[in-house]
Amino acid sequence: MDPKLTEVSQQFDRFKAAMTRKDYNTCTQLLSQLKVLLTGFRSLPPLFEDTPNAIRELTLARDIYEHAVLLSVKVEDQDAFERDFFQLKPYYTDAGKRLPPSPNEYMILGLNLLRLLVQNRIAEFHTELELLSSTALENPCIKHAVELEQSFMEGAYNRVLSAKQNVPNETYGYFMDLLAKTVRDEIAGCSEKAYDYLSIKDAGQMLLFTSDQELLEYVKEEHPEWEMKDGFVFFQKAKDSAPCKEIPSLQLINQTLSYARELERIV
Amino acid sequence: MTQDVEMKDKENPSNSLSSPFTPSTLHHLKEIASLMETGAHAREVRRIMRAVRLTMALRRKLKAPVLSAFLNFALAPGSEAHSRLLSYLPKEDEHEMEVDTASSGAPAPAKHPLPELEIYCYLLVLIFLIDKKRYNEAKACSSASIARLKNMNRRTVDVLAARLYFYYSLCYELTGDLAEIRGNLLALHRIATLRHDELGQETLLNLLLRNYLHYNLYDQAEKLRSKAPRFEAHSNQQFCRYLFYLGKIRTIQLEYTDAKESLLQAARKAPVAALGFRVQCNKWAIIVRLLLGEIPERTVFMQKGMEKALRPYFELTNAVRIGDLELFKSVAEKFSSTFSSDRTNNLIVRLRHNVIRTGLRNISISYSRISLADVAKKLRLDSANPVADAESIVSKAIRDGAIDATVDHANGWMVSKETGDIYSTNEPQLAFNSRIAFCLNMHNEAVRALRFPPNSHKEKESAEKRRERQQQEQELAKHIAEEDDDEF
Repeated sequence: MDPKLTEVSQQFDRFKAAMTRKDYNTCTQLLSQLKVLLTGFRSLPPLFEDTPNAIRELTLARDIYEHAVLLSVKVEDQDAFERDFFQLKPYYTDAGKRLPPSPNEYMILGLNLLRLLVQNRIAEFHTELELLSSTALENPCIKHAVELEQSFMEGAYNRVLSAKQNVPNETYGYFMDLLAKTVRDEIAGCSEKAYDYLSIKDAGQMLLFTSDQELLEYVKEEHPEWEMKDGFVFFQKAKDSAPCKEIPSLQLINQTLSYARELERIV
Repeated sequence: MTQDVEMKDKENPSNSLSSPFTPSTLHHLKEIASLMETGAHAREVRRIMRAVRLTMALRRKLKAPVLSAFLNFALAPGSEAHSRLLSYLPKEDEHEMEVDTASSGAPAPAKHPLPELEIYCYLLVLIFLIDKKRYNEAKACSSASIARLKNMNRRTVDVLAARLYFYYSLCYELTGDLAEIRGNLLALHRIATLRHDELGQETLLNLLLRNYLHYNLYDQAEKLRSKAPRFEAHSNQQFCRYLFYLGKIRTIQLEYTDAKESLLQAARKAPVAALGFRVQCNKWAIIVRLLLGEIPERTVFMQKGMEKALRPYFELTNAVRIGDLELFKSVAEKFSSTFSSDRTNNLIVRLRHNVIRTGLRNISISYSRISLADVAKKLRLDSANPVADAESIVSKAIRDGAIDATVDHANGWMVSKETGDIYSTNEPQLAFNSRIAFCLNMHNEAVRALRFPPNSHKEKESAEKRRERQQQEQELAKHIAEEDDDEF
């Protein structure tokens, strides 16, 4: 076996051992060394040279990046997740036909969908979705994310939150927690438009706070324009309801003049 | 000089056309060749364009013996292109071919052929091979022509090159190997950009977009599209295609308003003959309008020749219009095979939420006050906690401006607001302004699009010239219709 390949796989074994020990600092260090070592292989993207060990190198590299993605979830680093995911993606799309399918593929793709949902990048969410085959859409991990998005768009936030109980994989927990935060912001935004007022108790329940104290802090930080009075939250102030009765004369003059100018040009 | 060549060419057919095959096709081909030669010498791109247009009219009449006779006429026998192109043609009528070489080979001028003519021969053979469904030969032929094109830098070739690119991509698509040529197309696009070949850029950009979208690579397509240089469209067909691809990309990325605009424009600009293309545009446009919360008019589904193809979308629209989730689900299931072959499945999944919205809007218009439990029942929300779901759905609809209402949490009902008098607001004024602006803009664009013959104000054209020009214009008008037919 190629000595370089042996070195990488030994290093990778050490990395995996550290991961099971939950020693994430060592993991991060080992990972950056691994990534440097991977640049030595010419069979990996973007070169895709057909070397004799290509298949083995590609599989190993894919494995490493998959672990890197999982590690980034464990250390709760979204930027690293995005970076690692994009490095991993060519192994699924461009090298997918040459390698045996990875058991983690759908789980990781589902994680990525969830991340896009959490960050409210819905356009990218759908772009990614288009790339998946119909069999992939049947996979529980992917389906989970797709259903979440639907409930999210509909406004059925309860369903989003209850989905937290039946996550298909334990790594999903981190993003589901983040999603709860996104949902809270959404509910707050909807409430201020939909209700005139709410009792503090109801508001707390809706925004998923366990105590009134938390609610007060949240309102102070995120929505200082809400008014708290006599055990009620009043949203009225946030609405600018008074319709403008004034005639926008300047704008009208401008428009009429431009019509005159254009008409003159025609005649 | 040019005239000399022309004269000689015209004489040729009459000598050699005693051969057994259809004389008119070969005759036409030779006329086209002479037209191309004058075009090449005078560096007039328009003449070459006309030649290409004339060719498309002959497309159905092309046959192997005619082609080989033409190759013998146009290319120097024994040259590389000549032998290579001949090898692609089917051999079954070898005998006839030899007869022909003998008769027409002799009078053909033994000169170095023009690059335009050489490329034109490639194009002819390629079209012939594709029509005869010989895709493997077509692939080989197109790759050879592309390799040749890379070394040619002549503006008069650009028109032919753009066509070649198109067929190059087409034959790879027909065999399902589009991914293979992506790198090559990108390289060609780069070359075209460096040479300021705008028609080529336009064509190649469309081919690349098509290539990406074929594999659902919307991200890459959008990145390329937004970075590629844009200029005024040279070919209406290419512009239509561009708009269609743009519309698709924007739909996927949830920019529905822009998507609707480009899709409708593409459908409108497309020539009448391009039925398949217009059906596709309409399908996408219908879905985008539904996603926007609009209901397309019935006339959209009743367009000539489209009723059958648009039927599934008609039923879908109906379900959305009524706001009935059950009906929507059954339609989506009933036509799922159509939708998945149109690749609109994912978009239809997105529509679910619009169905709920429409249902909710109907409720909000009919009732001034309704309990949330009834809302849930009417929307047929089948979930564990329908009232809470209904409440959050209603509040989201209010925030998004779909309905004008408030929710009373303590009593658990939704109160619709009175619709105010729209004429007391600035709304009508804005609508009026946007329509006037549209009309004025249309007029200005029309004025700008008028084309005047060059130097017409300086010198009065001679009678002969005028006659020639008029004849050209007539032909142009006639062939534009035919070209439309052919391109789609």
